[in-house]
Amino acid sequence: MPNQPESNTCDEIIFSSFFKGQIKVLRNFLFYKFGNLEKAEDVAQEAFLKLWQNCASVPIEKAKSYVYTIANNSSLNEIAHQKVVLRYEKDFTGLDKTNESPEYILEEKQFQAKLLKAIENLNEKQRIAFLMHRIDGKKYSEIALDLNISVKAVEKRIHLALLSLRKEIDL
Amino acid sequence: MKKNQLLAKWLNNDLSEDELAAFEASPDFEKYQKIKNYTDLLVVDDLNEDMMLATILKQKKVTPKVVPLYRKRYFQVAALLVLALGITLTFKLATNKTETADFGKQTSFTLPDNSEVVLNSGSEIGYKNWNWDNNRHLDLQGEAYFRVAKGKRFEVQTKLGKVAVLGTQFNVKTRKNRFDVVCYEGRVQVNYANKQIVLTHGQGVSFENGKQLKLDVAVSKPEWIDHNISFYKENIRTILDEVERQYNITIELNAKDTTSLFTGKLPAQNLDTALQIISTTYDLKVEKVSKNKIIIDEK
Repeated sequence: MPNQPESNTCDEIIFSSFFKGQIKVLRNFLFYKFGNLEKAEDVAQEAFLKLWQNCASVPIEKAKSYVYTIANNSSLNEIAHQKVVLRYEKDFTGLDKTNESPEYILEEKQFQAKLLKAIENLNEKQRIAFLMHRIDGKKYSEIALDLNISVKAVEKRIHLALLSLRKEIDL
Repeated sequence: MKKNQLLAKWLNNDLSEDELAAFEASPDFEKYQKIKNYTDLLVVDDLNEDMMLATILKQKKVTPKVVPLYRKRYFQVAALLVLALGITLTFKLATNKTETADFGKQTSFTLPDNSEVVLNSGSEIGYKNWNWDNNRHLDLQGEAYFRVAKGKRFEVQTKLGKVAVLGTQFNVKTRKNRFDVVCYEGRVQVNYANKQIVLTHGQGVSFENGKQLKLDVAVSKPEWIDHNISFYKENIRTILDEVERQYNITIELNAKDTTSLFTGKLPAQNLDTALQIISTTYDLKVEKVSKNKIIIDEK
């Protein structure tokens, strides 16, 4: 991120590059949080719009926590939580190309379905941390920064998420 | 197996070789690996970043946030103070101003046009500061000496009558029923009841209970300015009232003859002499009961 004196947020190029680096992650974070993709998009857009409108008073170094705070605040009340419905990559067929027996495929499909359900049923905090790692590929330290918690806390949430996922799948 | 955040470390490829080997040997490993593999394939719908960005950039920026001076707290406080000061000043200018001289004291002051006023003991003057030059009007209770600067009509309103002048020196005195005006310089017009009298320098007039009395004045300024009390045909009770006023004392009078009139001077800064003059004149006995109380009896 360019390190210039404040109000550089108003520069279209700087703002755009910041936007592109953050918008999807923010949208996803909101989606993991309350499960409504459309709303997540709206809230994320609203947060960036506010940043743009108030760019003069928000230096780019503070822009990230600014949009996260706004997004968090506006998602606190209004949005009714839904199940976080995820899907796998479209062209994904199976892992083991050598073993394509119907039983194997059925088993794998069942496992995938169970896994999705288990993720849906995770508690919100664990789900957010887990999916930020798995889908957005963030490092634990980055997640800690975004959620404003310690790396230890992130590890704990991920650990607990994995434990409870495995438990659910075994049921 | 110790599972203290181990799963998180494994997921992040943070395990040491030994730890990894141990974990891979555990019966649950296969399931965890599967979870890892499958969750690697999870996706969330893409979003049209460019369109969203274009929408945002089209929006107007809030005009650079310059915090106006009037929103700063200290400025608000300052503004309030200035306002309060302004209001106070306006009130001071517009409202009546009062000058008083307590018993036993004299006060002198100047009016906005530099006219001089000397207030005798136990007197009060009220006037409006605002637009004084065009409205030289004041209310008097008691006695005062005026040295009026040249200008528009100058009016002294008392309970008993009104005195109007154009730049002059004069004395106005009001007591219970008596109203004295003496002119020392220039011309003074006196209104009493329905009468209108013009005095020139050296002339004076007195009204007591509607009776007009002419005063002749030989001096150029009132006696009381030089700390003398002068009387012209006044009774003993009036004289004692004046002494009480000058010395800030109380005098009890137990005498039968209170109608004899006195003309003369009494010192205003020597009580014993003043009392002696009174006792000799009226043939009375003076007794000082305390510092502030005097009883006068028949001999």
